Amino acid sequence: MTEAELRERLREEPVPGEQEADQRAWEVVRSSYAARERVSWIERHSRLVLVVAAAAVLGVAAVTPPGQAVVERVRESVAGRTPSEPALLRLPSGGRLLVNSSQGSWVVRQDGSKRRLGSYEGASWSPHGLFVVATRGRRVAALEPDGDVRWTVTRPNRVAQARWAPGGFRVAYREGSTLRIVIGNGEGDHLLASSVSPVAPAWRPGAVKNVLAYVDRARSVHVVDVDTRQELWSAGTGPAARKLLWSDDGRRLIAVTDRAIRIYGPRGRRISGGPTVPQGHLLVGAAVLPKGWFVYADFNERTEETTLVRGTCIASDPCLAIGPTRMFSGAGRVENLVVSADERWLLVGWPAADQLLFLRLPGTRGARRVFAVSNVAREFDPGGTGVRAFPHAAGWVEDATS
Amino acid sequence: MPRAGRDERAWVRGAQAGSASDLEALFRNQWPRAYRAAYLVVHDSAAAEDIAQEAFLAAVRALDSFDRRRPFGPWLHRIVVNRAIDWSRARSLRREVGDDALADAPARRVPPRRQLSEGITGALAELTPEHRAVIVLRYLLEYTPGEIARMLELPRGTVNSRLRRGLDVLRGQLAEEEL
Repeated sequence: MTEAELRERLREEPVPGEQEADQRAWEVVRSSYAARERVSWIERHSRLVLVVAAAAVLGVAAVTPPGQAVVERVRESVAGRTPSEPALLRLPSGGRLLVNSSQGSWVVRQDGSKRRLGSYEGASWSPHGLFVVATRGRRVAALEPDGDVRWTVTRPNRVAQARWAPGGFRVAYREGSTLRIVIGNGEGDHLLASSVSPVAPAWRPGAVKNVLAYVDRARSVHVVDVDTRQELWSAGTGPAARKLLWSDDGRRLIAVTDRAIRIYGPRGRRISGGPTVPQGHLLVGAAVLPKGWFVYADFNERTEETTLVRGTCIASDPCLAIGPTRMFSGAGRVENLVVSADERWLLVGWPAADQLLFLRLPGTRGARRVFAVSNVAREFDPGGTGVRAFPHAAGWVEDATS
Repeated sequence: MPRAGRDERAWVRGAQAGSASDLEALFRNQWPRAYRAAYLVVHDSAAAEDIAQEAFLAAVRALDSFDRRRPFGPWLHRIVVNRAIDWSRARSLRREVGDDALADAPARRVPPRRQLSEGITGALAELTPEHRAVIVLRYLLEYTPGEIARMLELPRGTVNSRLRRGLDVLRGQLAEEEL
C-alpha cells in the first residue's frame, strides 16, 4: 500500500454515522450560535444579575464561619448582610424532604422536625411520598415514612439506587452491574438488564406504562418498557452520562455528562438546546423544572465558582423562547439540585459553606428570594465527632395528608 | 491564496458579524473531515459526533475573539484530534478500572473494536490512539510532521517514529486483508 492509496482510503472509505451526525450536529451548533446572541444580551446585563444574586448569597452566608471563607471574594464588592438560619429549623415551603447522610436516611418536615428512618445508605420517595425505598448492603427495603419496614428483598451482591415507578407498582434498583425490577409489594423480583452503568435509573413520568431509562456500560442510554421488556429506543451519549432526568411531561429525556447535556425526544431523536460547558468546567448538578425548563450547575475548575443556569425551554409544546438565564453564581462547588414539592424553590447543597441554599425559582412570587441554612453536616450527624460528610437531599414531596 | 482559504476567512468574518449562513458554510466545509478524523481515532460514532460537535461549539464560543488572520481548519482539527486522544485514553482507563468490578457481569458487550468494519478502520484499530492520531493528521488532514508536532505538542522525532510505526502496522494489516 502506497501513501497515496492510504490517503485515498482514509478519505473515501465509509465511516458509520457520518451522514446522520451531520444534520444533528448542525442543529446543535446553529442553536448554540443563536443562543450566543441571546446570551450576549445577558452578558451585557450580567453585572446587575450577578450583583442581585451575589448580594442575596452574601447576605445569607456571610455571618457563618464556613460561609465567610467561601464568599470572601464576593463580599469584597457587595455590601449587605442578612443572617442565615443557624440550623434547618424549617423548610421554606410545605412538604417533606428526604435526606441521606452518613448516619442514615431522614425525613424532614416543614416545621424542621426530623425523623431518622434507619441506617440506610440511600433512599428515595415513592410517588406522592407514601413510602420510601431504601438500600443498605445487599438489602432493598420498602418503608413507611415513619421508618416501619413493609418488605425487603435481599440479594447476593450489594444493591443501590432504588427508584419507585410513578405508578407505584414497580421498583427498579441496581445490584452490582445489573438492573433489577421488583413489584411494589416486594414480590416478583427479576433481572431487567446486565452490564449497566452506576447511574441511577430514571422512570418516565406518567402512570400508564412502566418505562425506565438506564445507561449501560458502553455508555448508551436505553429506554425500556419494563413489563413487556421491549426496548423503545436507545442512543449513544458520547461521553458517559452521569445522570438521567425526564421532563415533567415525560416527553424529553435529559442525559447529563461531565460537560454536556443531551436531550432526547420520542424514539431517541436528539433535540437541540442541550448546553455544553467550556473545557475546564464541569456539570456538577442538574434538575428538571416545571413547564419544560431545566437547571444545571456549571462549575469552573479554574476559578472554583459555580453558576446555576436555567437552560432554554425544551418542552414539546410551544414555550417561551428565552435563552439561558443565570440564577446564581457563587464560590465553591454546589451539588444536589432538588425542586420543592410546590415547585417554587430549588434546593442546592453547598458543602464548602456547610449550607443548604433554597433559591426561589424564576416566575414565582415571594418576598424572600434566597433562604439559607447553616451547619448542615452536624444537623444530620448528631453526636458525631469525626469528619462529617455533607448530606444529600433525595427528594421533596408533598405532605401525605395534603 | 487558495480559494478555499479565502472562502474560509470570509465565512469566519461573516459568522463573527452574525451571519448564520456563513457559519453554516463553515460548518458544511469542515464537518466531514472533523467527524471522520474523530471517528478514525476513537472508533465510536457517538463519541466522534460529540467530539466534532463540541469542537464546533468551542469555535462558536470563541468566535468573537478568533484571529481572522489564522486559518480556521488547523485550529479546529487540533481540538478534534486532541479530544479524540483524550477520550480514547479515558475509555481505556475506564475499561481497566471497570472490569474488576464487573466480574459478575453475565453479558458483557462485545468490545467496540470487534464491531468495526473491515478495511482501513479495522486496520487502524490495531494502533494506539496516539498512533492513529498522527496517521489521521498526516494522511487525512494533510499536515506536515512539523505541523503535527506543534498541534500535539510532541517532539518532531516522536511524530516521525509514530508515522513510521503506524504505516508499518497498517501495511501489515491491509496485506493480510488482501490475502
